[in-house]
Amino acid sequence: MSEKSYRDAIRDAMMEEMDRDEAVLIMGEDIGVYEGTFRITAGMLKKYGPKRVIDTPIAEAGMAGTAVGMAMLGLRPIVEMMTMNFAIVAADQILNHAAKVRYFSGGQVDVPMVIRGPQGAGVQLSAQHSQTFESFYGHFPGLKVVAPATPADAKGMLKTAIRGRDPVIFLESAALYGMKGEVPDDTDFTVPFGESRIARDGNDVTIVSFSRMLQVSLTVAERLSSEGIECEVIDLRTLRPLDLVPAYASVAKTHRCVVVQEQWKPFGAGAEIAASITENVFDDLDAPVERVCGEDVPMPYARNLELLATPHEEQVANAVKRVLYANG
Amino acid sequence: MAEIIMPKMGDAMTEGKVVRWYKKQGEAVKKGEPVLEIETDKVNLDLEAEQDGTIAEVAAQEGQVVPVGGTLAMIAAPGEKVATGAQQAASKEEPQQRRVVDKKDSYKHTTGEYAEAIEMKAPRIDRSAPLRVVEGGRRRSSPLARKMASEMGVSLDAIQGSGPGGRIVARDVKDAQPSGQAGLPVLQEKQIPLSAMRRTIAKRLAESTGPIPHFYLTADYDVTTLMSLRQQMNEIVKISVNDFVIKAAALALLSHPNVNASWGDDAITQHGEIHIGIAVSTPEGLITPVIRNADQKSVQEIAAEVRALADKAKNRKLRPEEYQGSTFTISNLGAWGIEEFTAIINPPNVAILAIGAAASQPVVVDRQVVIRDRMKITMSCDHRVVDGAAGAEYLRTLRQYVEQPVRLIL
Repeated sequence: MSEKSYRDAIRDAMMEEMDRDEAVLIMGEDIGVYEGTFRITAGMLKKYGPKRVIDTPIAEAGMAGTAVGMAMLGLRPIVEMMTMNFAIVAADQILNHAAKVRYFSGGQVDVPMVIRGPQGAGVQLSAQHSQTFESFYGHFPGLKVVAPATPADAKGMLKTAIRGRDPVIFLESAALYGMKGEVPDDTDFTVPFGESRIARDGNDVTIVSFSRMLQVSLTVAERLSSEGIECEVIDLRTLRPLDLVPAYASVAKTHRCVVVQEQWKPFGAGAEIAASITENVFDDLDAPVERVCGEDVPMPYARNLELLATPHEEQVANAVKRVLYANG
Repeated sequence: MAEIIMPKMGDAMTEGKVVRWYKKQGEAVKKGEPVLEIETDKVNLDLEAEQDGTIAEVAAQEGQVVPVGGTLAMIAAPGEKVATGAQQAASKEEPQQRRVVDKKDSYKHTTGEYAEAIEMKAPRIDRSAPLRVVEGGRRRSSPLARKMASEMGVSLDAIQGSGPGGRIVARDVKDAQPSGQAGLPVLQEKQIPLSAMRRTIAKRLAESTGPIPHFYLTADYDVTTLMSLRQQMNEIVKISVNDFVIKAAALALLSHPNVNASWGDDAITQHGEIHIGIAVSTPEGLITPVIRNADQKSVQEIAAEVRALADKAKNRKLRPEEYQGSTFTISNLGAWGIEEFTAIINPPNVAILAIGAAASQPVVVDRQVVIRDRMKITMSCDHRVVDGAAGAEYLRTLRQYVEQPVRLIL
């Protein structure tokens, strides 16, 4: 184990896999000479050369479509989107091609590719660059959707994504790039998809979250612990496949559930999670499942407004108390 | 200085109880603002200030019972001097006099606008309750609370919910279950203060069995056809056996106006309309909402009305005209599995029907033992008005309707 940042964990995963398998390559805007807008790809062009670290034009649909073709013919491309917001341009390539080629080909052709990049608010990138996309991609069968909350998961899950047979949407939280944590050094360390984890034990309320909001939830859980409220915090890790079994078991124990997500409330991931919990453990609920979400507005640029529009600890704490009927 | 007095919320009301004060002595009030909540025999409601001013005097404490017309509070107009308690005592005769005059103002709670006032005010819900709480309907409880209650053998009806909008949540069920053997209800000695409603029931029923010479007639009816008709109709609209019985009783009364009557000191009144009171049990006690002109309504209409009135009764939302003015009453304990029982007459009615449970029984028809559905109905009669033969004739007419239920839906 060694302490690594979320950013370095992602780079380590890619370089270890490029060392292990010559079919792995990366392409994206400003990832080579410039070493990446968020410096994820620092040193990679120098080490692997321009055939495996490819600077592309500003043409996301072209990048994604090229990667689909490469993957169909046996390569394992990683596409870095400068931010996941720009991948909207490539939506047809991702949703209608990458996600469907195996099905169209009667199972003959896989598309083992990774589309990764930062998303989310918190770094003053304004309305067009602060969105999150888990519910957007999570809606489509044929894709895997991943949203790690820790450096270790970022590394282990990116390696699983690169080694797998499926197109993977790898959603990194821009606000977590500098976050540090213990990461296993083992070059074969991977984290499987579709396995949620219990990030914190507790008996009073279940908080279900992922990505950066998982960290917010853990902070709130620690704070509430001093008030005698013990929250169990579930980290979903992957949104597709979605593993809610630990959440059901937890709610069966706590009888209360708060779902925390950064994105907007309508049709968000939280709606899917809350509905599934109600369907599966209805009789164990002592309060309606609450959702804590971002404000329903395009993200403002101003720092004070951005903070107001993003779910904050106080909102999570209040929701926890509401489902406990503890604040009247 | 304006007075708030205990309003008369119906002919039978003689007194009311102060539930809580929203305003303290010396506090400013605006016209139309609720000053206190009162409990009458049948409903709770807010009394409002009829002018801007200051609460000069609070004349009755929470929990105190005040006779109709009795002073509850005095409101001083802006600038008006607030009278001290001593001055009040000195001029005690005067408000007594003025009460008659002021009654006109307060009267708006008892006629005309009162229904609207109740509609807007009752039942009072926590003003800070979240938006998603909807008024009315069934008692709210969380899924877990329901599961726990059923596992513990605890009735949710007996539990006061502490969640938003009175939702019964797990802790309420837990609190309702004192330590004891799991799964078995535990008896606890407790004293239940008499509510205004319970006092009224006691007073009226004692009045009834005292001066009213009761006698009882029981008839056994074949309801096989009625049960199968009901089953067929239930595939389209939900109707209970009792809804049929209401219609049957009302139609039978058309032929026996002497049973649809009231005793008076000077005369017996035979009523021109048939209004059937239905005994409904609520957590607080018995109330009899009235199906007006039941003889003219379809069974479906009666079914819908009974359900709406029973819901309102359980939420204490009945308005006086919804439970007053019955000419005949029906009490049905069939749902509790009671085979037959006698009911006490609900004055000023002169008769009441006690309906037992319908049950399949072997009976002899044409010298053959066959299984038929049977139901016992016991009629209690006020012998001052209804003689034995008159009661028996009524039950015979009733038989035509109960045993040939097609007459009820034609």
